[in-house]
Amino acid sequence: MSAIIEELDPERRDVELPTDAAPEPDAERPRRAIRSRRPGGPNKRKPGDWLVLAVAVVLGFFIAVPFLLILVNSFKSPADYNTSGPLTLPTEFYFDGIVAFWERVNFPEKLWNSVFISGLVAVFAVLISMFNAFALGIGRVKGRLWIVVLILLANMLPQEVLLYPLYFMFKEAGLYDSQWAVIIIFTVIQSAFGTYLLASVYSTFPRELLEAASLDGASRWQILWRVVYPISRPTLSVLLIFFFIWTWNEFLIPLTFLVSNATQTVPVAITVLQGDRLMDVTTTSASALLGLIPTLVFFLIFQRTLTRGITAGAVK
Amino acid sequence: MKHTRTLAVAASVAVAALALSGCSGSDAGGDENTLRLWHYEGADSAMGIAWAEAIEVFEEETGATVEFEEKSFEQIRSTASQVLNSDEAPDLLEYNKGNATAGLLSSEGLLTPLDDVVDEYGWGDQLAPALQTTAKYDENGIMGSGSWYGVPNYGEFVQVYYNKDAFAEAGVEVPTTFAEFEDVLQAFADQGTTPLAESAAEYPLGQLWYQLALGEADRQFVNDYQLYENPIDWSGDEISYATETVKDWVDAGYISTDASGLKAEDAGVSFISGDAPIFYSGSWWYGRFVNEITDFEWGTFLFPEAELSPGSAGNMWVVPERAQNKELAYEFIDITMRPEIQALLGNNGGVPVAAEEADITDEKSQELIANFNALNEMDGISFYPDWPTPTFYDELNAGLQELVNGTKSPSEVQQQLGEQYQSGVDDIVG
Repeated sequence: MSAIIEELDPERRDVELPTDAAPEPDAERPRRAIRSRRPGGPNKRKPGDWLVLAVAVVLGFFIAVPFLLILVNSFKSPADYNTSGPLTLPTEFYFDGIVAFWERVNFPEKLWNSVFISGLVAVFAVLISMFNAFALGIGRVKGRLWIVVLILLANMLPQEVLLYPLYFMFKEAGLYDSQWAVIIIFTVIQSAFGTYLLASVYSTFPRELLEAASLDGASRWQILWRVVYPISRPTLSVLLIFFFIWTWNEFLIPLTFLVSNATQTVPVAITVLQGDRLMDVTTTSASALLGLIPTLVFFLIFQRTLTRGITAGAVK
Repeated sequence: MKHTRTLAVAASVAVAALALSGCSGSDAGGDENTLRLWHYEGADSAMGIAWAEAIEVFEEETGATVEFEEKSFEQIRSTASQVLNSDEAPDLLEYNKGNATAGLLSSEGLLTPLDDVVDEYGWGDQLAPALQTTAKYDENGIMGSGSWYGVPNYGEFVQVYYNKDAFAEAGVEVPTTFAEFEDVLQAFADQGTTPLAESAAEYPLGQLWYQLALGEADRQFVNDYQLYENPIDWSGDEISYATETVKDWVDAGYISTDASGLKAEDAGVSFISGDAPIFYSGSWWYGRFVNEITDFEWGTFLFPEAELSPGSAGNMWVVPERAQNKELAYEFIDITMRPEIQALLGNNGGVPVAAEEADITDEKSQELIANFNALNEMDGISFYPDWPTPTFYDELNAGLQELVNGTKSPSEVQQQLGEQYQSGVDDIVG
């Protein structure tokens, strides 16, 4: 088959294909299969395996600690917290903190704002990433490396640096204090990363499929939607989920651009609880829990897609 | 085909969102009879309660409506300069006092000078001189002189909170002199209790250190330290006394060496839980102690023999230069300065700047406000040790942590702090 491609593709762009994508999963799969089918199964684990397991458990514990602390303290009354500190279990379930925060910031409104902004950003950014990557990874535009580097700048610059230029731009455009400012900014920032990642995935896209499609008379638009899009859908779904969660957790830019309370997102609303000098640990925990639950639910719903891996999409 | 569905659902959600939201941008003020007001005090805090009442009085008397939004402290702190430079600027907002905040914005021309209005309404007579310091800024944005840019509505100061039950049990009285205060500390230390709730990772120990220096100082020292009138001698009597006393207290067990890693919240909680019988800190704890201390009786007193104590006017009302209804904003400020609103603030655990002591009916609050008024009568409000330079808060905490740990001697700490203070001040004064 490589002879045919060579014929069609005099620049030998297929060289990357065998080295990059195809062999690796194949090489990995049998190894894993052998290991799990080993006779005796878990009983015959080597000391090394136990060590790895122990390290993984310890790591998992450390990752879970902040979340567990939030969970424990969300349901504690301030009096309970004052006498027993942050590390003990609550003596009784206390929901006032959660209720107080819910009512104080009008939580359903903030939740909707966050879903609205993150959802639109995720969809727009995936779309733009796909178009860009199609041009850069499959279309092989001249100077694509530099284009990718330029696009990545949006991602690499600290947001503090972008803040003032963006502020003046959107003020001139009349979009200051509008959710659209945030949606546009994050669509650009997220699609910068998406373009970078997808472009490298697409550059390993099997040429024979593209050639076959164009031989069948497909236009570029049709190649994108009928060939490239269906095959890279798992990767696109993973990007969609990441973009949603990343945008959800953004703080600085929403804080700056969403001036009116009615437009604010969940992470911005949580700051209402931080005073000049005082903090309210139990209510702050409750608010963090409320802010965290939606992303957790979103993640659980879509985690099957996530496990398919970000580089999935090569031809099986 | 599961993926198709996932993506299709996401896309249709997005489309629905678009359709539902339509145009959700808010249109900024512009109505002549609307006062757009922002502050960041919780609805059940003293200021929140008093100002809610002020809003009602204002609407009744002027017929205008108040469009109030509760902001977060963090949002106003980090975005004020941008918001106030746009059409979204409110007519009146609560803003943080200080050179880096109100001072900076006033020097950029974003705040309205209030000199004429202050004269017209007579607010200058209601506020003690030390409280006016943070309301006035010169053309470089340095506080203490120049035009009025804000009107403080509440005050704050640092005092001693003590556990009455623990005092009774230990058989000690409220000290009236500094020597007696040390005796009380010694009595607790003898019983194996660490008497002082302290934190060197955050502001509490820095404020105690400053209080100890103030015990040896006069008003001129405060002006030199805070307003850069004369250079400060960092090996002089005031500073040496403070640093060495902190060291002695750590050695004597009045302050735990663990304090170097503790935060203000930890120190406050150790007082609330009854572990430490004495907590030297600010009036901002007062409301929380009223609500959360149920197991014992507690009281307050000013630091014994002190004629100067840390404290200042609270955050204040400012009127943005781009505000659209400035006259309404002035009227609102005037309502918040009235005795009945000030009394309401005082009866709910706040420290009013212009209240009649007779109007305060709540017994505990009377003690608090009497302390504040006594301090004001002595002209004793001395601001905070970290105010002079933008980085001194962290530098002071780091120095005191080393002092508490014993990694540096008092004279080394003083020298280090002196250099850091001076280089910061040189940057400001030029």
